[in-house]
Amino acid sequence: MSILAINEHLLRAIGVGVAVLRASDLTFVFHNGPFAEWFGTPAEGQTLLDLLPDLDQRELDDVKQSGLRYSAELQIKPKRRTLIFATTISLANGLEEQVLVVECQNITRIRELESMIDSYSTMVERNTRELEREKERVERLLLNLMPRAVYEEFKTFGVVTPQLYEQVSVVMLDFVGFTDFASQTDPTVTLSELNDIFTAFDRIVEQFGCERIKTIGDAYLAVSGMPDATPDHATAVAHCAVRFLRYLERRNESHPHKWQARVGLGMGAAVGSVVGIQKYVYDVFGPAVNIASRLQVFANPMNIVAPEEMKYALIDEFQVSDLGPVDIKGMGEMNLINVTSGLSVPQPSRHF
Amino acid sequence: MLLLNGIWFSVVSQTIYEKYGGFKTISRIVMSFYEMALDSDGIGVHFEDIDMPRLIDHQTKFVSSLVGGPASFSDERIEAVHRHLKISHDDFDEMAELFGEALAMHGMSEADIQIALSAIEGKRAIIVARDAA
Repeated sequence: MSILAINEHLLRAIGVGVAVLRASDLTFVFHNGPFAEWFGTPAEGQTLLDLLPDLDQRELDDVKQSGLRYSAELQIKPKRRTLIFATTISLANGLEEQVLVVECQNITRIRELESMIDSYSTMVERNTRELEREKERVERLLLNLMPRAVYEEFKTFGVVTPQLYEQVSVVMLDFVGFTDFASQTDPTVTLSELNDIFTAFDRIVEQFGCERIKTIGDAYLAVSGMPDATPDHATAVAHCAVRFLRYLERRNESHPHKWQARVGLGMGAAVGSVVGIQKYVYDVFGPAVNIASRLQVFANPMNIVAPEEMKYALIDEFQVSDLGPVDIKGMGEMNLINVTSGLSVPQPSRHF
Repeated sequence: MLLLNGIWFSVVSQTIYEKYGGFKTISRIVMSFYEMALDSDGIGVHFEDIDMPRLIDHQTKFVSSLVGGPASFSDERIEAVHRHLKISHDDFDEMAELFGEALAMHGMSEADIQIALSAIEGKRAIIVARDAA
């Protein structure tokens, strides 16, 4: 078999549509099977533009003159399906006359796959965004249940190791006559009042770098010094305490219900951990919490009571007065102090 | 599966989509179904004037949603895209049959095909035209 015969055989066998045209009048010298199958068999005297009318005559002239290739995308619709062809026309010299070589590749499937990938990736991207949002929502939710540092540990290791903090301070607030209020008021009103107040408390707590641990009914518990150690934990909780009360005083001026609260502070050791497996609760336990809780009960309405050990930490910034030794249930006799805001300290000089 | 706090929770059992290799299988099923639907004398006409990217988009979501892939195809949308096509119960039956064939062609087990087909059956009411016989 001669090289020429092999070449012709190859041209007929390949899946690409091939045609050779006389450059002078665009009539066919040769076409292979795929070309005829897609665009029809060229009759005697028919030109390329008869079979492929979408081709640009000027571009073809340009190929003849410049010798540059002309590429175009053609569409045909033999039945229901639109077929897409990448068509290239180039000039071949060196024969007795100039000829144009037409190559047509069926890129329908490629286009379809591209469309499918587009559709699919849009879908996946949207789902990924939704998952991201969901993840953030879960994270926000968990951050409401535990401090960030604890959450990070939980996320990384799947567990939280109970940790002992030697020196932390605790503030505990409880409303006076809450049970009566709740029994006489529409529960939604009670809830919205509590929500309003606790939200304000949360802001105060955040401002002083403390952590709100929990609310138990109408009681509010926050700590300073955990999970990150804070040297001024005692003053931090005292600042929160005086601002809680000041907030309530201000709020009472413009709201129908006049809230009264007792506040207890505590200082000492505490253990913090996530409690539960299915229902996570980050909680704190220990002497500091117990003291705050007991002293809160002992405090007069709108007063802050703290153990005497906190006196030296608070004395510079707050007005501190001794309450003397008091027998506290479960704690024995304790020396207590009453704490008020340093800002409202009466200036003795003004009285003279 | 849902990743929560570094722990994988198995929220739902493995979907057909995951079981058969995800996108690479789905893409083939979509292509086969697309070819069969176009060649069908019964339902091919419904795909006649639809533009190709839209059809493929439709098929990709349709097939994915039916086998538990990452597709969300709301019933409202399915109804909207089919409303003007006046699809009869016969058309629907043929489509379901072709879809079943496409799944079988790509090695899906009979039990899983039935699950996918019952998912399609669930959409009959919103795909078939209301006044169809």
